[in-house]
Amino acid sequence: MPPRLNLFNARAAVPVLRHPSSNISRPSIVTSIGINRPTSHGLHPGLPSSTRMDKRWNSSASGGDGSERPKGPTEDPLPHVSEEAAEIAKIMNKKCDGTAASPELEQGTPVSEILQRDKEAQKHMPKVMQDQIKSSTGTRSFSTSTRQSQAELHDQGKSVDEQTAAMVANMISQVNQQAEELHPGLKFGPVEPLPKTENFRTRYDSLLEQFTKLLMTDGKLSMAQRNMAFILDHLRTASPPQPNPKRPLLPGPPAPQLPLNPVLYLTLIVDSVAPLLKLRQQKGLVGGGASVQIPVPLALRQRRRTAIRWIIDASDKRRDSHFAQRVAHELVAVAEGRSGVWDKREQQHKLGTASRSNLAGNRR
Amino acid sequence: MVSSFCWSCMTRLRPTPRAVLPPPVAAPRAASFHTSTVRYALPAKKKASLDGPPKFREAKSARMKKKKPVEKSRPPSVGERKALRKRIVLSNPNALEVEGMQDLSSENMVDARLRGSVLGLPVPMLTQLRAVEAFKPKQGWSIFRRPGTVVRRETLELGRFIDGISNEGKDKGRSAKKIVTGVRGSGKTVHLLQAMAMAFTKQWVVFTVPEPQDLVIAHTSYAPLSDDTPHLYVQNDATAAMLSRTVTANEQVLKNLHISQQHPALKSSAKAGMTLEELAKLGIQDPAIAWPVFQALWSELTATSPAPGFDKGFKPRPPMLVTVDGLSHWMKNSEYRSADFDPIHAHDLMFVRHFLSLLKPGSEKPALPNGGLLLYATSASNNPTIYSFEVALKQIAARQAGLNASAPEFPQADPYSKADKRVIDAFDSAKPTIAKEGILELQTLGGLTRDEARGFMEYFARSGLLREKINDAWVGEKWSLAGGGVIGELEKLGRRLRVVN
Repeated sequence: MPPRLNLFNARAAVPVLRHPSSNISRPSIVTSIGINRPTSHGLHPGLPSSTRMDKRWNSSASGGDGSERPKGPTEDPLPHVSEEAAEIAKIMNKKCDGTAASPELEQGTPVSEILQRDKEAQKHMPKVMQDQIKSSTGTRSFSTSTRQSQAELHDQGKSVDEQTAAMVANMISQVNQQAEELHPGLKFGPVEPLPKTENFRTRYDSLLEQFTKLLMTDGKLSMAQRNMAFILDHLRTASPPQPNPKRPLLPGPPAPQLPLNPVLYLTLIVDSVAPLLKLRQQKGLVGGGASVQIPVPLALRQRRRTAIRWIIDASDKRRDSHFAQRVAHELVAVAEGRSGVWDKREQQHKLGTASRSNLAGNRR
Repeated sequence: MVSSFCWSCMTRLRPTPRAVLPPPVAAPRAASFHTSTVRYALPAKKKASLDGPPKFREAKSARMKKKKPVEKSRPPSVGERKALRKRIVLSNPNALEVEGMQDLSSENMVDARLRGSVLGLPVPMLTQLRAVEAFKPKQGWSIFRRPGTVVRRETLELGRFIDGISNEGKDKGRSAKKIVTGVRGSGKTVHLLQAMAMAFTKQWVVFTVPEPQDLVIAHTSYAPLSDDTPHLYVQNDATAAMLSRTVTANEQVLKNLHISQQHPALKSSAKAGMTLEELAKLGIQDPAIAWPVFQALWSELTATSPAPGFDKGFKPRPPMLVTVDGLSHWMKNSEYRSADFDPIHAHDLMFVRHFLSLLKPGSEKPALPNGGLLLYATSASNNPTIYSFEVALKQIAARQAGLNASAPEFPQADPYSKADKRVIDAFDSAKPTIAKEGILELQTLGGLTRDEARGFMEYFARSGLLREKINDAWVGEKWSLAGGGVIGELEKLGRRLRVVN
């Protein structure tokens, strides 16, 4: 049975698959794992370019194009133990006083290895060994190399991970190469998919929409939108927040730059105080009709919803005359770590941690 | 069975204290030897409980406890909400400073190379512009570092005109009368603002009526002008407010001008040698004489030569700019009532009548003899629909195009639609006889051109508010979305936050 292509095992190759994040122009909170697309800039430098399916696939690295093969994680050639010991001795700066520092040094290094790395010594090595090297370069009348399709028959020793990682990298690079070859023939570049916000139904940022609809009362959406516009304008014009080191916002652009992108500012504020879990009162876990709290994890949208509710509730205690102004001031207070919403979140998390023990009863 | 107690012991037993014994049953005493009545008696009435049967004329439905309304801290203080609503913010310290942005000056207001760029309003002038209420609360000044306006084609024309009147030359002393119309968001108010800013740079005197609606909605006091003319009304408080605006904004100019005529209406309060600033302040201090003071100020500013006896130190009067923003409110009956409770037509208010009379050509001297500009704008967002005013505007356009009023193509009001004759007559101005006076024109503001739109959008991007690549394709798209470059719509698109993800 051939080894299945398991992408989850191919963790080691994932860094190769990732986009370099430098080409993301604006900072985004959620780093997206990019999909390798042929772009006009050519192939990504992290990928070996000329890998082909029919390449040699055995373990010996003595082949001429072996260096071009993608290297697995464990393939990095380590030096011989004695060399390593010598290196260590050098690093430790030991005086060489004739006594061997370690058993490896005592036993010595095989001559063949020394010759392999010392070109000068190769010239003066015994003739027998020189002949041996020369004769080894000759061709054979039959092939001892294997093809990739036969790899599974022979390469039982290699780990499955390595194989699949290499194979995925291989396939992707091949597709890229094909697309690259195809590209000059196309009259226009590949059409980029429209951003999500270009559709008029989803023209607003998802958090913005959620916040707006939570601001809404009595189904008056346009009123809520006006309030939202006021809030965004306030975030844009109010002085940049003085971050509290004890209650920092999520990593993003530095605070003085936040007002220039009020949507990102709002997103950072809401996501920073969004709780990870909620507490649910569950009856019948411990018997006797008593209800206990158990922590339940929240999804992103639920987390944001909770945070927005908290912010709006906290804003009700403010003394400004306009609702939108109250919420705007509360948001800035959250950004500066002054708001009670942070305490609420900490309390929620503390309770959640404490009530984790109640989950054990559930499992019984 | 013999009791183990002896009699003596029994007799010595004390009676049990009363408290230990159970209390006697509160049964009817009369028949204490019966037990049945007690048993069969009706059970004691429970105290009134919620689940009992309804009483007579009492609802049986479940009664909810009413929630007490949450105690609000305190209502906002008087005027706080209105102040917030009317607040005008002209600066956003978070926005980026646009490099190389020029200020409006007398040199660059005629520079055609600046077309499509944004010129900043000079900071010292902002107090003057605020005084004449050139900025409106709903305009988007508050997101930029400092206020600035786009130089469009009409702006350059305006700049050339104002420059021509102010400088020595053949255009000196000319006057023009324009009614500015256009679709909503086409920049009519900002056009007036640009005119005011240019007039201030050229040391003109600026009179403004920022909210004509306020004069006709019966929110300020009114009184008959005199006993001779009981059908005409003055609004003293509104006049005093206008004098106050004018004095604050034009202080430097009015300080240097002196009284050149007798003002019999003001009696002794107007003394010879008084500056015009002091004259105007009379009306601010005492609103009862605001209207005669305004008339005196107007006659001083339109004077071309001193009256005999006032020759000393007469200076030629500067040109004037008069702006009215939202003309159509003046074209119908006001909310005021006469003593007979008949509605008062807006044209019977002296304030309104004065500004509308300027549209007519003068008989022996022009309405603005020292030159100047009348800019009356309509509004597209706060605009009563008045049929006769629409017809009047069409007639102005036709007259401007050279049509004679007797020509068959000349637009006439529908005889069955009860057009207001007074409105049509107010704009029915004949061709002026004096050469320096211009004919009443209709100026329709449309959209920006693509190049101007690009300059405007680049201003957004350079202020750090817009995160897009500004190229021709993108600008063209927004230009189309904005109804062919309507600047108000472009501004909305520019400040709309698009987050691509």
